Amino acid sequence: MKKLLNKFEPPLNKNLDRIETFIHTHGTVNFLFGAIFEAFDGLLRSSKHTAQTQPFIRNNMDTKKFMGAVLIALTIGWVLPGIYFYGWQCVISKLLVSFVVGVFAVDVIWAIIAKEDHISEGGFVSCLLVPAILPPQAPLWLIGLGAAMAIIFRNILGGVGHNLVNPALFSRLFLTICFPSLLATGYQMPFAGIPDLHTLRYGLDTITHATPLSEFKADGTITSYLSLLIGTANGSLGETCRLALILSGIWLVKMKVANWRLPVSYFGSVFIFSGMFSLLSKENVAPPVFQLLSGGLVLGAFYMITDPITATYNQKAKWIYGIGCGFITVLLRNYTTLSEGAMYAILLMNLLAIPIQSLMVKIRYRT
Amino acid sequence: MVFKGGVNLFDAYKIRFCNIIEEISSDTPPEVFNFTLPSEQLVKQIIVTLCPTEPWALPNWVTLGHKTTVFLDKIKELQTILFPEAKCSVVISYNETEHISAAKEYAAMNEWLEVFVIDAKYPYDDPVVLSKAILNKDINFGQDTLSRGILVFDAQTALAIHKSRILNKSVNSRFIALSGTGLKENEFINVQLGTTLEKILKNRVKETAPYRVFINGPLRGMEIKDFAQKIDWTVNDIVVLAAQDKKVMFPMINTDRLHFTTNLLGELRACVYCNFCDDICPVNLEPALYYQGYNRGEKQKVRSYDIEKCIECGLCSFACPSKIELLRIIKECKSPDVQNHEEITQ
Repeated sequence: MKKLLNKFEPPLNKNLDRIETFIHTHGTVNFLFGAIFEAFDGLLRSSKHTAQTQPFIRNNMDTKKFMGAVLIALTIGWVLPGIYFYGWQCVISKLLVSFVVGVFAVDVIWAIIAKEDHISEGGFVSCLLVPAILPPQAPLWLIGLGAAMAIIFRNILGGVGHNLVNPALFSRLFLTICFPSLLATGYQMPFAGIPDLHTLRYGLDTITHATPLSEFKADGTITSYLSLLIGTANGSLGETCRLALILSGIWLVKMKVANWRLPVSYFGSVFIFSGMFSLLSKENVAPPVFQLLSGGLVLGAFYMITDPITATYNQKAKWIYGIGCGFITVLLRNYTTLSEGAMYAILLMNLLAIPIQSLMVKIRYRT
Repeated sequence: MVFKGGVNLFDAYKIRFCNIIEEISSDTPPEVFNFTLPSEQLVKQIIVTLCPTEPWALPNWVTLGHKTTVFLDKIKELQTILFPEAKCSVVISYNETEHISAAKEYAAMNEWLEVFVIDAKYPYDDPVVLSKAILNKDINFGQDTLSRGILVFDAQTALAIHKSRILNKSVNSRFIALSGTGLKENEFINVQLGTTLEKILKNRVKETAPYRVFINGPLRGMEIKDFAQKIDWTVNDIVVLAAQDKKVMFPMINTDRLHFTTNLLGELRACVYCNFCDDICPVNLEPALYYQGYNRGEKQKVRSYDIEKCIECGLCSFACPSKIELLRIIKECKSPDVQNHEEITQ
């Protein structure tokens, strides 16, 4: 592999250098295509910047690898299981629409209008999450609108590093408000068994069903834990195969991309609070393990609340943040008319993270 | 002893040295090592560090050989003649089992001596961290440890003090470790004090690519632009790194071309609050808060977040995936100008 690439290396490097000098010497071209070239070049080549102040050597980890690890984990966590359960036509088309609209259209146009010198790779993560949190039968225009909303919202607030709330969840909230009927239905049954060419392409033919959480709300039925874990129970496109999500999430934690305190406190608090509440009122409150394995909780615990920008920076405050998420999720799921509360809980705690953070700073430094 | 943070640089940067020690003499008459003794009553504690935590630093075997007991005998002479009031602690890194067992045997017979074993993690050999771990005394960075009665020195300085003060012989040369990607070979040199850098680097650097020279390591040390500078006793090691200021194709595969160079290995981005900096911080600070405050122009506020505890080891900047110059921000906020401004506004 390395030998093969070494052959292409010198001519490719030379041509990229040539394009770079051309772009930098022509103002209009730089204005239109500078950011796109930088993004493309950044995938193929390292940066040329050197450390000018102490320390003069730097660690190999950069934001590209940070986001790359999340992208790999998400691919294993939901894209591959999604293709098995719903067919590639469903998953790949949504991903294509999401990336083309979110990253290649909205983000590029934004970079041109706002005269930014680079396109952030964080957009890929948001656009990979948008189809995952929408129903499998969501129309493609809805996915495109969601991806566009996520990127516009993030960029308005100042881009990666300045998000107030998780952009993917914000776009889902926006879609829930605007198109409630489209998000309440379309939960197709996943395919189970030995796949053939037909099911790998289409999945099962459009049999929709109520999600396990709304089923419990309606008549108290509890779906089997095994089917929830493996992914044969229905739900949003990316949240069904909890086993893959848990494994890829643990890998992320091991890579130190996700902070272990957040999933531990979220899972722990959901387990403890739902246990406590179900002891108090058995009919209304679902048992703890069912709550852990249903809905978007696993996806949220490993990929949404671990988003470091929207979580608190202080490590102790992370426990409060995670427990808060768990508490609100249990409250919303069991004592309101909503069947799933993870999204609202995370969005609310995203906002509360700012006062929690400043409170912890005040307590620690007495300022 | 449990430390939070720090990093084991020996795993990250494996530097192999050539075992032959080359002698380099100065063109001018060499300078003589001079150690002004502090008054006897002042020194309560001597800390001898046999724990280089940086892979480019001088390892113990170069100065001590394998004669730990001979070295400790010399320390004993120093203690009895020069600092009779003082207790002595010898700090050895965890992997040097030979030195540890010999020193522990020695300490069992001499009650003035204590042996501490620490992980070879950077920056555990910093005087501030050492005095906190061994004596449980808080010392601010930059403060003279002697004012608290603590004298910290490494093996080579201890031997030099012994030779010049006890044996009354002049010391005019020292061992220096030469390493880095900009050199043809990593080696140890015994160089006379006052030799110019130019003479040392001549015929040793790779002339093909641009290089940069650092004294006392690329993490804590200084970059040297003027090669006429002379070597003095404070120079422990010289690191010559390939500058690598050009773009490298396929950085994921060609990691060897970027490793241990001055390349940033990434681009400057906004902070994502990933907690890398406070995880790695050896003194348990939260450097991202400094960045946040600095960005808003609130340098005075930054000073209230325990900034004086920072030991300027540079690990926060080293680990930052967004390549933010956190150490520069910290130094700027620590500077007396900001302090004066703070006093005026109050």
